[in-house]
Amino acid sequence: MNPRDPGQDPAIQTAGLIKKYRLADRPALTGLDLTIGRGEFFGLLGPNGAGKTTILSILCGLRAPDGGTVRILGMEYRRQQRRIQERIGIVPQEIALYDQLTARENLIIFGRLLGLGGGRLKERTGYCLEIAQLHERADHRVASFSGGMKRRLNLVIGLLNAPSILFLDEPTVGIDTQSRHLIHRQLQGLHAQGTTLLYTTHYMEEAQELCSTIAILDEGRILRQGPPARLLQESACHSLEELFLGLTGKQIRDI
Amino acid sequence: MQKILSTTAKELLLLVRDRAGLLVLFIMPAILVIVITLVQENILALSGQRQTEVLLLDQDGGVFASTLLSSLRQMKISVHSPEQGEDLQRLIADGRYQAGIIIPAGVSRRLQQEMAFRLAAGDHAIDGTLDTASLSILFDPGAMAGFRAGILSRLQMAARAAEIEMLAQELGHSLQARLGRLNPGAPSPLQADDSLKQTFSHSFTTITEQPTTTGTATISDIINPVNQNVPAWALFGMFFTAIPIAGTILAERRSGIAVRLAGIPVSPLQLLAGKITAYLCVCLCQFLLIVLIGIVLFPHLGLQAFTLPENPMVLLPLICACSLAACGFGTFLGSVCHSYEQASTLGSTMVVIAAALGGVMVPVYAMPQMMQRLSILSPLNWGVNAFLDLLVRGKDFLAIGHDLARLLTFFAVMVILSWKRSSR
Repeated sequence: MNPRDPGQDPAIQTAGLIKKYRLADRPALTGLDLTIGRGEFFGLLGPNGAGKTTILSILCGLRAPDGGTVRILGMEYRRQQRRIQERIGIVPQEIALYDQLTARENLIIFGRLLGLGGGRLKERTGYCLEIAQLHERADHRVASFSGGMKRRLNLVIGLLNAPSILFLDEPTVGIDTQSRHLIHRQLQGLHAQGTTLLYTTHYMEEAQELCSTIAILDEGRILRQGPPARLLQESACHSLEELFLGLTGKQIRDI
Repeated sequence: MQKILSTTAKELLLLVRDRAGLLVLFIMPAILVIVITLVQENILALSGQRQTEVLLLDQDGGVFASTLLSSLRQMKISVHSPEQGEDLQRLIADGRYQAGIIIPAGVSRRLQQEMAFRLAAGDHAIDGTLDTASLSILFDPGAMAGFRAGILSRLQMAARAAEIEMLAQELGHSLQARLGRLNPGAPSPLQADDSLKQTFSHSFTTITEQPTTTGTATISDIINPVNQNVPAWALFGMFFTAIPIAGTILAERRSGIAVRLAGIPVSPLQLLAGKITAYLCVCLCQFLLIVLIGIVLFPHLGLQAFTLPENPMVLLPLICACSLAACGFGTFLGSVCHSYEQASTLGSTMVVIAAALGGVMVPVYAMPQMMQRLSILSPLNWGVNAFLDLLVRGKDFLAIGHDLARLLTFFAVMVILSWKRSSR
């Protein structure tokens, strides 16, 4: 349990979540029920178009659902959007950084927009630069960074407000092994400190290694959910990939 | 407030780091104003408000040609003769001169004979048509209709003046001869030909331009084409800031920054306000730069200097309102377009149309009726009109109230539409 976040409500709770896009021929989410406990490292797996990004968008408050309810730390977006946003962090799949600014300037700008200032901002900026191992390059422009450095900075900006819940959308796409290893270590550290993490990925080994719970999603509904070891045991599969392909099929989705 | 200021600081920092963007925002409008004002200076020449150059081939060499030449020079027409071996027709056809006048040989002699004959005939009827002098004029096919009409009318005036002068001279000779016949040996009261010539050539009617007054201000002394051009083209440049604004919005959307921003406790309106504040500063600096060019550089380029009103601060609310309108348009463009290419094409096309419609390129009064009615829809028209009221027509701040209100309403509508779209 996160010491900053006392309370009995789950970190995330959805009931009967429905979402249909205007031009889509079928709903993206069909009555999704999901409960993620505080301090969990939750992995959301699914083929392209399964509804992962839609869930993440709704949980982050970026999209409104067409039906159902969402509660984040016991609060609803409709009533307490600002309070929820103060307690969550988002790491988008894209490198969401200002290329022409330095790493420090990026952190300061996002920190100020999060409402941080003075000593607190300085402290959080220093912490983020340290865990991203970007201290030496703090005053260099992001445009000069490698893919891995950008990914690390992209991740730590999501940590500026010391969030209770961190939403990560494929945060390790296209980076070198060393940077991926560092990101894994930092995420495990956050998990150990009690932060709730909701993580989407296409890398099965990564999910198996990091997540305390995973959910395999397809066509807007959850097919399986539980700790990776238990799911493998129940399905008699040798790997998560085997289980995933068994549940979602081998057909390419985005053609 | 901290969030708005942070966004403003970020936008300004991004702009300072983007040299190409700065070039577009500051150097391009400056070059535009200089080039357009210089070009328009030439148009003033073509329309007769500056000295015009024409080529004249004098095959006559008599009194008519010399009198015509001096009349033309009095009318601010600079007359050149073709060099030895140069063909006037060729020089005009090549576009080296826009107009050429040919005075055929013997014109002075024929006119003198004709006038003397008619004066001698007195009241007796003369059979046959008048023997008139025929001058030829050639125009560059590319010369504008207004220029042609101006040269033709001035040539006719000059020819008429030369005729009157010759007629006065002939009349003097004729009267002297008649008086001599009536009283041989008596001194003639018309010995002084020059006084008669002067009497005939003197114009008894004068036209004086009265200073136009609006309320308390007399404005004829501040009419200055540079004062018309500088604010109009500065406004045009200002509206082009809409494209970089749209560009930043689209870049944030494309890079995922918009997603990050949507997930933090800051409202889209605060983000827009921060962005608009930054670009408002940019527009103010842009205008200041262009005004400085008008005041400092233009006189060195042979142009008139830009003249500020007695109280330059009266311009500030108008510049702010125009800048806000431009920024509002930029945010709207950024919210409706899907790519930078789309925003830059759509944005520049719309700004050029609004400028053309608004009287930046051609005065509204020179447009067809239908376009004049449509011009009221262009925010650039409201801006140009208000600047002309303050800088050229000498009106006070209250007179531009309705144009300010239109600009601010346009800004508000654009921002609300952008906010609604970014909140979706």
